[in-house]
Amino acid sequence: MKHILFCFFLLTGFELTAQEVKDSLLLNKAKDKVKEKLQISGTMGITYEGYGLSRSPSGWTGYQPRRPWHQVRFNFTPTFKFSKNFSLPFNFNFAAIPTNFAGPYAGIKKPSFGQFITNPMNSFGINPKYKWAELQLGTQYLKYSELSTGDIGVFGVGVDLRPKIFRFKFFTGISQQGINYVAGPPIVTGAYKRKNWMAQIGVEKEDSYLFAINIAKGKDVPTSAAPPPLTIRPQEGIVISLVSDLYLEKGFYFKAEGAQSTFTKDLATPLSPNLKSLKPFIEAHTSTITDFAAQAAVGKKGKNLDLGVMVKYLGAGFQTIGYPFLQSDRLDYLLNTRINAWKNKMNIVASLGQRVNNVKNTALRAKQFIGNLNWFTQFSDKFSLNINYNNFGFQTASGLNPFGIKNVSNDLGINPTFTFTGKKIIHLISMSYNYSKYDERDVMTGLTTSNNTHTGLLTYVPTYLEKEISPDFSILYFYNNVPGAKITLATFSAALSMQAAKKKMRLRGQLQYTLGKLNSFSSNNNLIASCNIDFKLTKKLTWATFLTTNYFKYGNEIIPNGANYVETGCRTGFQYRFDTKKQK
Amino acid sequence: MKKISLTAIAIIITTICIAQVKLNFAILNTQPPAQLSEWGNRREVLTLMATGQPGAPGGGQFKIKTEIKTLDGTVIGNADLARTPVFTLNSTGTPTILFANDAMPLEFMVFTGKYKTSLERTGKLPAGNYIICVRPVNIIDYTPLGEEQCKTFYLASTQLPILMKPYNEEVLDAKKAQTAIIFRWSPVVPTQPSPVTYRIQVFEVLPTQSPVQAMRSNQPLLDKEIVAATQFIWQPQLSFLPYDGETKKLPTFVWTIQSLDVNHNPVTQTDGNGEGRSEPLIFFVNPDKNKKPAKEN
Repeated sequence: MKHILFCFFLLTGFELTAQEVKDSLLLNKAKDKVKEKLQISGTMGITYEGYGLSRSPSGWTGYQPRRPWHQVRFNFTPTFKFSKNFSLPFNFNFAAIPTNFAGPYAGIKKPSFGQFITNPMNSFGINPKYKWAELQLGTQYLKYSELSTGDIGVFGVGVDLRPKIFRFKFFTGISQQGINYVAGPPIVTGAYKRKNWMAQIGVEKEDSYLFAINIAKGKDVPTSAAPPPLTIRPQEGIVISLVSDLYLEKGFYFKAEGAQSTFTKDLATPLSPNLKSLKPFIEAHTSTITDFAAQAAVGKKGKNLDLGVMVKYLGAGFQTIGYPFLQSDRLDYLLNTRINAWKNKMNIVASLGQRVNNVKNTALRAKQFIGNLNWFTQFSDKFSLNINYNNFGFQTASGLNPFGIKNVSNDLGINPTFTFTGKKIIHLISMSYNYSKYDERDVMTGLTTSNNTHTGLLTYVPTYLEKEISPDFSILYFYNNVPGAKITLATFSAALSMQAAKKKMRLRGQLQYTLGKLNSFSSNNNLIASCNIDFKLTKKLTWATFLTTNYFKYGNEIIPNGANYVETGCRTGFQYRFDTKKQK
Repeated sequence: MKKISLTAIAIIITTICIAQVKLNFAILNTQPPAQLSEWGNRREVLTLMATGQPGAPGGGQFKIKTEIKTLDGTVIGNADLARTPVFTLNSTGTPTILFANDAMPLEFMVFTGKYKTSLERTGKLPAGNYIICVRPVNIIDYTPLGEEQCKTFYLASTQLPILMKPYNEEVLDAKKAQTAIIFRWSPVVPTQPSPVTYRIQVFEVLPTQSPVQAMRSNQPLLDKEIVAATQFIWQPQLSFLPYDGETKKLPTFVWTIQSLDVNHNPVTQTDGNGEGRSEPLIFFVNPDKNKKPAKEN
């Protein structure tokens, strides 16, 4: 909590400083009649989130809390523009209570200051910019390219220099601190401190071309966690990539990137003279692998027609620190198109492709077919129709089992919408039917089970042209049938939006009741009520509140019979918008 | 007669010398991790027991000649005996316990052809059945000190599930999504010896967060373990917030699957993130899909 207070004082301090600077500059401007003024844009705010869960009967734990009991979030993101060439943007977003469930900080409860600063739930970034030179300080989520780095926030220091067409970027810092393993409960997975470096050199002309070389490296400090994580290994990796984008006339484009990664999966393994090192960047251990990846896209973008082809290959050993969840060993190719026709009243978006996994391994190569179609047609002012179809198929050989894996998912949706316009009201009636079929083969018996889902939805939305209220109503029927289980759900929902207090307040309420049934068990009941209140206190200050409650009562499908719970949620916060321009 | 006696004595001595070290596989996992460097981290993969006569010539010292073969007997990798470590039998006569790092020290193993290439690029051998053979040899001239012991094993690179539905960046109708959302994913390949537990997690992406940042920061709205099945129907029981006019963002969610083995550990600990988590996908929920904007007065 002291970190929060420290940061809040920092934040307050910044604001005071900004105010002082602003006052001082205004005085100087008045005296010297200097044309340029300090401009401040952006927002700052504070939000409180509360959560409650009451379970019955007492002692029953069949439903787990899914939000933190309390949370306070702060944001401070103003941009101070001192002149045409000099700006100072801040990006501070942080929360009081750590809630990490996945990744290196999973389970952490009492972080040190260093862990708080580098926790992915917190960002503290300042990016002063003068003409083409930008200094990057604090937390930065930098995306250099699709194959080098982009998903990870790093706390550190760097530059982004763009003189004329030249590009030079460099950043170094820490993406995660060392976190000791704790057997728990609660378990803390633990992590090694990870240092990151990244750089880009290239040339770029916006909307015309880009040629650049990227290099991104990360290295764990094996001694940074004691006791160390049980299932995570200290790693080191480097990726070098060459990226080129080319945008031609008439909407033609070509994009390509090739990359090589050298990655040590476990720094504790011995050094290996048998494997190639990439000195001075990385020295090979017995767990070091080197592989390649490439992607290319070519196509044409137009007002009424887009057509593109994309191919992506990720070698089985391609691994980067900058994209920790990238699944390698695959070859994707995809043809996609978008067509506008019939005076923009018909819109078709479609893609067709295949993904091959386990590319290197012919014995267990897995193929996934991908097909998507969305076809919307506005036949008249009164009638439109949307049809969508998705197919995903996954197939691979058997391995040691008698039968191979084969899963096929098919979805078809039809959605007609009728609109009737009166003098005072527009009636919108939307119907929707979805059929979803999922076939799954048992690898031991070879038998295929079908999982069929039908969903029907009817929505009615009256829009009053002379009133400030906007209701909507819907009924939904959901039926899922798989051998051994039949799930039926019926939902009735109604919502109302309106403005009040001379349009300074926006209100929205919703009620939703769902009746559910599993096989022949007795029905379960679910009632959800929610309310949004957005209040514009002044031109720059808004107060937004969201309240919700959820009551769920099980049928006799679980023990104890009659188990139920009530969830409550509250999110309320103030946002102040900086905008000196409009004050003039 | 004298010649015959001498020959018999020589044979007996040779036999004793040859049989002075005996290696036995106490454990060999028939489906060990595909990542060969991972063998050393797991004692359950390979355990050898060395027994013999410590007082024999050589002081009970020996090296292990290790060979990896395909099923047809072709040697694809073997230990460089000039560099492999020397082991000594326990003087007490109790068995010497050796593990994967001792029997197959990767830094001293020499692989050939496509197997070498595969190992350099992926850290794995091509999927298939292999034979590992170990034999104790003299530390000077590498002559056999005992019988060769062989075991077969199967290697296959474990592929984490691919998320199928909702597909990446799919926009769901809030009226349907508030009742049920169907999640589907492909199974872990190859089929594991014990049923895989798929832990499905759905995280809300706040307007100031990137999807991966949200996944690494927030408490999941859904955190459910499903054994062996590859579909889950989620009743979110949520009221989705309306379209955020300030940030111009729809309510956004990121979902992933963590694949766990029978001991609740990630099925792969060396690939990707080490957490056994599949590449996450995002989906949006559009609460105002059917809303007609009111005519401006």
